[in-house]
Formats: sequence, C-alpha cells, structure tokens
Amino acid sequence: MTVGPLTAPVETAPSRGRRSKSSRGWWTATAIVLLPALIPPISLAWQVLTKGTGATLPLDRLLVLFASTVGLTIAVTATALSIGTTTAWLTNRTDLPARKVWMILAALPLVIPSYMAALTIIGATGPDGLISTWVGLEIPTPYGFVGAWLALSVFLAPMAHLIVSPALRLIDPATEEAATGLGAGQRRVFFTVTLPQLRPALVSAGLMVGLYTVSDFGAVSLLRFDTFTRAIFTLYAGQIDRRPAAALSLVLMILALAILFIERRSRPRAGYAMPRPGRARRPVAMRGWPKGLALAFLSAFAFFSLAVPISVLLFWLIRGLSAGVKLGAFWDETLRSMGVSLAAAGLAALASLPVAMVTTWKRSRFSGAVESATWAIYALPHITVGIAVVAFALTWARPLYQSVLLLVLTYVAMFMAQSVSTVQDSLRRVSPVLEDASRGLGRGPLRTLAGVTVPLASPGLAAGAALVFLSVMKELPATLLLRPNGFETLAIRIWSTTGEGFYTMASVASLALIAVSIVPLLALTYRDLSD
Amino acid sequence: MKRLVAVAVFGALVVAACGSSGSDNRLIVYSGRSEELIQQLIDRFTDSTGVEVEVRYAGSTDLAATLLQEGDTTDADVFFAQDPASLGSVADLLADLPRSILDLVDPKFADRNGRWVGTSGRVRTFVYNTETTIELPQTIDDVTDPRWFGEVGVAPTNGSFLAFVSAMILERGEDATLQWLESLEMNRPQEFPRNSPIVAAADSGVVEGGLVNHYYLLRLRAEGEGTHSENWFIPAGDVGTLVMPAGVGILSVTDMPEAARQFIEFLLSEAAQTYFATETFEFPLIPGVPPARGLPALKDLNTPDIDLSELADVLEDAARLVSEAGLV
Repeated sequence: MTVGPLTAPVETAPSRGRRSKSSRGWWTATAIVLLPALIPPISLAWQVLTKGTGATLPLDRLLVLFASTVGLTIAVTATALSIGTTTAWLTNRTDLPARKVWMILAALPLVIPSYMAALTIIGATGPDGLISTWVGLEIPTPYGFVGAWLALSVFLAPMAHLIVSPALRLIDPATEEAATGLGAGQRRVFFTVTLPQLRPALVSAGLMVGLYTVSDFGAVSLLRFDTFTRAIFTLYAGQIDRRPAAALSLVLMILALAILFIERRSRPRAGYAMPRPGRARRPVAMRGWPKGLALAFLSAFAFFSLAVPISVLLFWLIRGLSAGVKLGAFWDETLRSMGVSLAAAGLAALASLPVAMVTTWKRSRFSGAVESATWAIYALPHITVGIAVVAFALTWARPLYQSVLLLVLTYVAMFMAQSVSTVQDSLRRVSPVLEDASRGLGRGPLRTLAGVTVPLASPGLAAGAALVFLSVMKELPATLLLRPNGFETLAIRIWSTTGEGFYTMASVASLALIAVSIVPLLALTYRDLSD
Repeated sequence: MKRLVAVAVFGALVVAACGSSGSDNRLIVYSGRSEELIQQLIDRFTDSTGVEVEVRYAGSTDLAATLLQEGDTTDADVFFAQDPASLGSVADLLADLPRSILDLVDPKFADRNGRWVGTSGRVRTFVYNTETTIELPQTIDDVTDPRWFGEVGVAPTNGSFLAFVSAMILERGEDATLQWLESLEMNRPQEFPRNSPIVAAADSGVVEGGLVNHYYLLRLRAEGEGTHSENWFIPAGDVGTLVMPAGVGILSVTDMPEAARQFIEFLLSEAAQTYFATETFEFPLIPGVPPARGLPALKDLNTPDIDLSELADVLEDAARLVSEAGLV
C-alpha cells in the first residue's frame, strides 16, 4: 500500500540563484497577455489626468459610499464563503443521500445574473409577490443592505462552492486521519486540520466574491443599496459628461488595490504542495439530527437560489402567454452570447497560464504587481471598463472600435483574474520540482510545457474557463458600449425587455441564458462527480 | 491546452457565423429606443424602401455621450432618441432638417433650430393604485404633500425623471426646483431604478402612486396585469404633465443623407404614427392619427409651455440638483 507523502508546507518559490531560461519565457508571455488587461486602467487614469474630474461628489458622500461598499463587501464575502464551504463539505465529504445532485444544485445559482436575481426577489416578495399569492405568507421585499447582502451572498456562494470543492478533495486523508487517530473530534479536525489546508482556496474564493461585490450594479441598484459602483452608474446615466464617473472609478480602483494590499500582507508565505491523495477517504457518516439539519440547509439554499427565481420567470412566461403575448425566439442572441463567451473563456484560460506561472512557480519581485493588476480590473465596475476601452479605441485604435475582437479582449481582461486564480490553485498543489525534473531528464521546454506543466494545470484551466464563460454570459454594461452595431446578446435583451416592461420576453431570454450556462457548469462539476 | 484553443476558435467561428455583414450601403441608426419597441417598424421601413438599416440600441444618454466621443468620425447616420435632452446635447453634430419635415409636426415638438423633430409623444403622469388612492394630486406640488409620505415611487436616476426635473428648472428656476426636490425627499419617496417597476409597484399596492411616463401602464396591461392602477394626468398645466417627445435627427457627417431623410419621413408617416399609437402606446404627433384607446387626445391635456430645445442645457444642473436634494 502506498501512503501519500506527508503534507508539509513548502516554499513554492524557487531559490533565487537559478533563474532559468524558461522563467524568462514565462515572463515574456505574461507581459504580452497582460497588455489588453492594462488598457482599461491606463486609459482611465489618462482620461482623468488630461480631462479633469468634472463635478463629482462631495467628500462626505464619498466617505459614506466608501463605508457602505466596504461593509457590504465584508458581509457578502463572509456569508458566501460560509455557505459555499458548507455546501462543498456536505456534498464532497459526507454520505448524504443524493449527494451528487446536491453538488450540482449548489453550483447552479451561478448561472443567474445578479440583476435577474434581484428582479425575481422583488417579484417573489411583497404584498403582491408570488410567495404571498401562492402561500399566503407576505414577506416584505428586503430593500437596502439586507436585500443586497442576501441576494449577493446566495448567488455568489456557488463561486466559493466551486473553488473549495476540488481543494477539499485534494487534501490528503492521511493528515485528517492522523488527527482523528490522535483523538481529535470531527469538529476539531475540520477547524485545525482541514480549514488551514483550504486557506489558499478560501483566499481565492474570497477575492473573487469580494471584488465581484465591489463591481456589482444589478443587485444593488434594484434592491436600492447605495455603493460606489451604484454611484458611478448614477453619475454616468444622469449626465452626458463622462468625467465624474471616470474620476470616481479611479478612486474605486485604488480602493480595490488597497484591499489587495491588505490581503497580500495577510497571506501565508508557504503553500501546500501535495500530490493527489494516495487513496480514497471514507465519507463522514451523517446520522440523526445533523443529517436532517444538513438536508434542510441544502434544501433551503436550493429553494431561495433556484426555485424562487425560476418560478418567477415561469410565472411571467405563463402570465404573458395567457394574455396573448407573442413570443420571440432569441436564436441569434443565444449564438452570439455563446460565441463570445466561448472565445473569451478559451483565451482567458490560455492567457492565465503564464500569469499563474509567474505568480507561483516563477515568482520574482514583479509577481505581486502582476497579480494585483488582474484583480484590480476585475473589481472595476464594468461600465468603467467599457468607457475606458471606448476612449482608448477612439483615440489609438479606431479600426478596433466596436469590433468583436476588442469586445472579447476586454472580456478577457475583465475576467482573467478568475482563471488566473484557479490555475494558481492547481499549480500550488504540485511542486515546481516536477518541471525541473522534466528539464533535467532532457525534455525541451515545449515538451515539458505540453507533457508536464499543462496537464498539472489542467483542472485549474478548465475551471477558470468555465467561470469566465459564466461571467461573460451575464455581462451587460461593457457589452452595451463595445459591441458592434446590432450585435445583441442575451444579457442585452434581458436588460432592454425588462426596462420596457416586456416581462414575457424577458423571461424567455432569461431562461435561454440559464439553459446555455448550465452546460459549462455541468462540465465543471462533471470532474467532481466522476471523482 | 488543445481543447482550450479549440474552444476559443469555435467561439470565434460562432461569432463570425452570426456577425453582421459590412456596413456599406446600410443606414446606421443609433437608437435610444429599445429593440422591442421599434425593430418591427424598422423592418417595415426596409420592406417599403429597400434601404437596409443597421441599428445600435442603447440608452439615449449613452448614445449621446458616445456620439460626442466619436465626433466627426462616427459611422452613425441617424440618431433616434427617447428625449429632447439627448438630442439637444448633440445638436452641434446634427444637420439642419428640411422645412418639409419640420412642418409635419407642431413646432413645439421640434428643435427651435430645426436640428431634430419629434416622432411620438410621451407624457409624464402620476400612476396610482385605484384601490388605495382616494384623493389625487391637482398640481405637481401636491405630490410632496405629507399625505403621500412614503407612498410615492420615483426613478431619480432615470433619464425621464431627469428630463422632467430639467423642464422644471426651465419653468421655475433652479432654486424653486431644488426646493421641490427637497420636499419630495422629505416625504421619503420609494426609489426605483426605472419606470416599469414603479408601475408594477403601484399596481400591486407597494406604493400608492408614482411619477412615470404614461405608456408603462399600458405596457403592463398588455402583459396581463395593470388592472389595479390608472394613469392620472395632473390637470394644473405644470411639468407634472410634461410632453417629452421621442425624436430624431440626421448626423451632419452622414454619407446617406437621402436615405436618412426617407427614414424620418417614414417615422412621420401615417403608418408609423399609427404603429406608435397602437404598439408602443405613445401619442402620435401628426394630425389625424388618434392615440391608443383609453388615452385622451394630446390637445385635451393641459400641458406646460416649455421650449424643449433648451432641455439639454439644464440636464447637468438637473442631475446636480437631484443629488443635492439627497434623492440619489
């Protein structure tokens, strides 16, 4: 019987003295793939420096916005991580009935865009809401902080679920069994052995959820909670002058960089390099009241995150059909959404390989800056990215203006952080020594890349591609600004139909968006299911 | 790796397969009016004239800002907007319209300098729940009466509300407008991002009333709801019953002036005006075409006398006042 090597924290950065040629190659590749990602922030800063800020907001209002944004971000991150880790643990580590079904259900809400989530929450609650009509129980619509916090937490928890799940499975059972053998209880094992090993995954998930919250507009606007991003949208929508919105976005980007700086300080220096577990683990047996509680928790989560929104959409559809509304199909929109999402997902995953490489195995003093750059753009409101790229294209790259190419590159820039972080997680799990070994045994750099590095990174590449796909499917503000004329996507049609009160058509477009998004999500969880 | 490349390439192919063809010989329309409302009409235009049209749909203010950024390099031929403020803010980029077009509508629904012309009327109204509301506001100032505390829905960030505030600035000046906005805010109105959720809220009783454009209620009825609410056209002749025409102008850099003119003439034809009345529930602006059933005639409404050409000049002030009053 082979026993997996005992896991120990190892320094994942190579020793200073041997900067190899392959390292230089990776850094060059990183510089190239980061170019599109640098366009939005540089263009934004350029706009503000050369054109001024216009009439922005008074300082006291800025401070209130700052506080409310930070408060919401912390609350959503903590809640979404707790929910996501719980669903991940319950569906990966226990013997709950229909475990694999729950595994998929816990990930599914990620396909629902935050504006649709908020809209359906409003449709379900209140005096005339669906819940009141059907069950007779009137739940007040949760406007303000509570609404934004709940909606974002529930619909972002699947992000944490998806990132924590593979990490949970890759922990060597030997460490936990050793702790149990030494007399530690189930809970003690989870908090002292399992959780510390999950830390890198939790940090990634936390950044992904937290910075998404910073950039979200849909939920906070519909549920009326004033954040920085909502203020930026308001400035942008209310006036022709785009300077105040740009100035405020720059402030927001600095805020995001500050969050990253704090995160970096608190991050553990060492990673856990570990090969795949040498043998299967025994699932935790769930009996009695913990089992009931676990099932109740999963059911409640699936009810609020899936049953409620989908019921509201179906209700609109049926209501409209019985009122005689003619349905339109959204074939072209569906194809376009899929096309740009696939292209962006593939490119983002490819581009994230060198970036993840130079921030894990090939670290240098620039690694931190590279990583921060990708996250900073991820945190920007999408409308800001759109405005910055429009300004850039009109001045410097007129032929690319309103082209699909620029649109896709912008998506890659906006969402690359997601795939960088999943690839990093994959790479951190294996020792960089493997690559050196391959080179040492006489394999060339390309063969090492194809035969060693890519296969090791592949779970992260696939997960990253799927996450980017889902994000692009839902993206609206930048798409509106950057798309070619007539290039309507599903997200755009959902926006325009709901705005004009065409709820029946909106529900068709929303259901199409959900249907298409399920495919990559299933592909993503398939790996988990087959484990 | 290979699979990822395949995914990216496949995506690119899908996009290429459904992407639009080149833009030569197509009339490019920047439309602040949504696809659901007017694509059918544009298809009819193409059917009857043979002119192919390429449309860019987005918000009216968005498109105005985009046009200002694009300047003379824009590919757009026509700007079709929801409100006079958006049109007015790009007036310098628009060409003079021929007299023959301007004469089709009442001069108060066209630009003073002849750069844009109104195509359909959208009227500000007070939508209210018929089961809870007993006493209706007689003037726009009544809406800020304490009796409406917490019961009025507004969309302070929406273009239509900002245009309404702009009109109020033109009617009563900045100070009085700020005062009105402050008393509205003291009354704790419920804020919504757009008009249609306000109408839905009034219909379901979440709010008693709301300041919106008139056609959202008719739209909600077409979806099978809207039976518990009604539009109330505030009778005092103030900005509470402002007519904000959607309008259209031709970019002066257009390379298709003839087709652009045909497009505007089509929008002001009887067929298109009837379409606006029956499909988008707006007020037709040419004589002889009646509005949708259930709506009063435009001339029977007591509407304020405001030079819509000036709206754009005070739009920024309106946004500032709304924010100063604490509504956003």
